[in-house]
Amino acid sequence: MMSRFMLLAPVAWRNLWRNPRRTLITLLVVAIGVWSILVFDVILNAWVTSSREASLRLLTGEGQIHATSYLDDPNVAHRMSEPEGRLLRALNSPVVSAWVRRVRVPAVIQSEYRTRAVTFLGVEPPGERIVSDLPSQVVVGHYLRDSDDIGIVIGRDLAEKLKTRLGKRVIVMAQAADGHLAERSFTIAGLFDGSQAAQDEFVFTGLHTAQSALGIGHDISEISFDTAPAASLNDIVSALKHAAPSRGIEPWTALSPLAYAMESFSQSYIAMWLAIMFVLMAIGIINTQLMAVFERTREFGLLQALGMRPGMILFQVTLESALLVGIGVLVGVLLMLITLVPFRHGLDLGFLAAGAEMFGAGRVLYPHLDPGDAVRYSLIVWALGIGAALWPARMAAKADPIVAMAES
Amino acid sequence: MGAIIRCRGVEKIYRQGAVDVPALRGIDLDIESGDFATLAGPSGSGKTTLLSLIGGLDRPTAGEISVDGEPIVKMEKNRLADLRLHKIGFVFQAYSLIPVLSAAENVEFILRLLDLPMHEREARCKEVLREVGLEGLEKRRPSRLSGGQQQRVAVARALGPKPAIVLADEPTANLDSKNAEELIALMAHLNATSGITFLIATHDSRVMAHSRRRIEMMDGKITADERQDATVAA
Ligand SMILES: Nc1ncnc2c1ncn2[C@@H]1O[C@H](COP(=O)(O)OP(=O)(O)OP(=O)(O)O)[C@@H](O)[C@H]1O
Ligand SMILES: [Mg+2]
Repeated sequence: MMSRFMLLAPVAWRNLWRNPRRTLITLLVVAIGVWSILVFDVILNAWVTSSREASLRLLTGEGQIHATSYLDDPNVAHRMSEPEGRLLRALNSPVVSAWVRRVRVPAVIQSEYRTRAVTFLGVEPPGERIVSDLPSQVVVGHYLRDSDDIGIVIGRDLAEKLKTRLGKRVIVMAQAADGHLAERSFTIAGLFDGSQAAQDEFVFTGLHTAQSALGIGHDISEISFDTAPAASLNDIVSALKHAAPSRGIEPWTALSPLAYAMESFSQSYIAMWLAIMFVLMAIGIINTQLMAVFERTREFGLLQALGMRPGMILFQVTLESALLVGIGVLVGVLLMLITLVPFRHGLDLGFLAAGAEMFGAGRVLYPHLDPGDAVRYSLIVWALGIGAALWPARMAAKADPIVAMAES
Repeated sequence: MGAIIRCRGVEKIYRQGAVDVPALRGIDLDIESGDFATLAGPSGSGKTTLLSLIGGLDRPTAGEISVDGEPIVKMEKNRLADLRLHKIGFVFQAYSLIPVLSAAENVEFILRLLDLPMHEREARCKEVLREVGLEGLEKRRPSRLSGGQQQRVAVARALGPKPAIVLADEPTANLDSKNAEELIALMAHLNATSGITFLIATHDSRVMAHSRRRIEMMDGKITADERQDATVAA
């Protein structure tokens, strides 16, 4: 086999350049096909990553722990005690990179002029800085300092809607542990930017401040955690479930179904695109290779007359196609890399920010070519291309050796 | 001496639409090892057809053919290809070289299909190219060789594997008379020195002049078969 390859590969290579124009056209078809598949993959992956990050790095984290009924009805009654014992040990294990406690209840916020429904959170600021991007999105004033901070941080957009601003006072009302409506006044310490939905929905104060306002002692509503880079989220979730069987423990895939759907469907979208592009490429490959084979019918007959087996002729023509498609694939990957250069610092979707946000993605996409994907799709196109070229190759192998005898 | 080629009752009928064209009507023929035989006859008499059947490029409608003792009529395709590779050298009328390979590569290609070790291959390649007088032109592609030179490469390629027989169909038809004369003298010389059997279909009286056995065909039958003393090559 190897000696046959060494014999036929140079012949195949030279045969490719007998009709350079045709070869170049096929190369171009394959290259553009591969390029478009990779562009599609890169954009989709950037989108998936962005929408995942937008959701996970807002408040979700990679997983959360609640009292079992909290997700159905996130009110103050469905709170839980601080983690302790086995759960605390599990959270402090090295596979969990960070975790934070939160109080999180529905509330109403009121300025001098307006009232709006919001979600009121009591947070641990140092931990939030690790698990969430929100603290770094404060654009006016500052984020909370610690769990005892009595200020409030709200969205810039919400402040506009409430017709209030930094340093002004607002009142937050929420149902307290005893069933009465708790009411507390806060000074606005900071305004954050970012997604419109988040700006309108979330208001933050220190964890202890919220706990005392609601009269829940040291109880909390949720724990949000991130996992260490190499750790398996599923394993961690089961370990936590084992450590705290009476609590609800959810991975982000359940908490943020849109981001998860983007991630899980992106593979099928790419497969669909690959199929479409491939049909177009296959038409090009089969067309040109059939032409190349028909032109050389006499030569293939001659080779058989000289003692080359039909199988070897099939091998020879397949080798030609493999080279042709292979080079096309490489050119396509190269084109892709060149295309990526201008976008290496991110693709700002500011001009369609509102539209992008609808799909849960952030404002800036960071296209980056996953080497694994590039290799995988290249190999798939290459293999399918060779498969498509088997038809012309079989035509060549069927050439009748008698044609060698035909005059001229 | 044993017969390299043995034909018994060979018939070939080509079917052209509804019409049957009988090309060979019962050929009995033995070609002895070491012979230098020509096949003559008017156009359409069946010379090419007979060569293609002997070379296993096509199958007879009836009859038996054996090459070097092996019956080939029912032989499977791949075995036929192998038999051609090892035992039969072909020289066609023209344009039979692989265009993307140089003169030496054309010869070597066949030797590589035979899986000869590299040093043997190179030695043999050099040897046959020298024998046909193509030293210095080894690296030229067919498009840069004259018709006569191309036919010499074809002869060298046919001889490379030391076949049992070389079948040539009108090898001089596309050559001017000087080149034709040289080519035929070369083949006669190679037959004399290497003992390789030649069977050559031709119209060319100069070729026939060199032959030691003249076979005449007419309407798909052998009409004459006589031995003669070959005119000594110049
Ligand atoms: N493929 C074919 N289909 C139909 N008839 C054919 C075919 N090949 C040859 N024939 C016919 O068979 C007969 C013998 O042809 P063949 O080519 O063997 O003759 P030839 O002696 O080689 O002639 P020439 O001197 O012109 O080369 C002719 O009548 C020819 O028309
Ligand atoms: Mg003929």
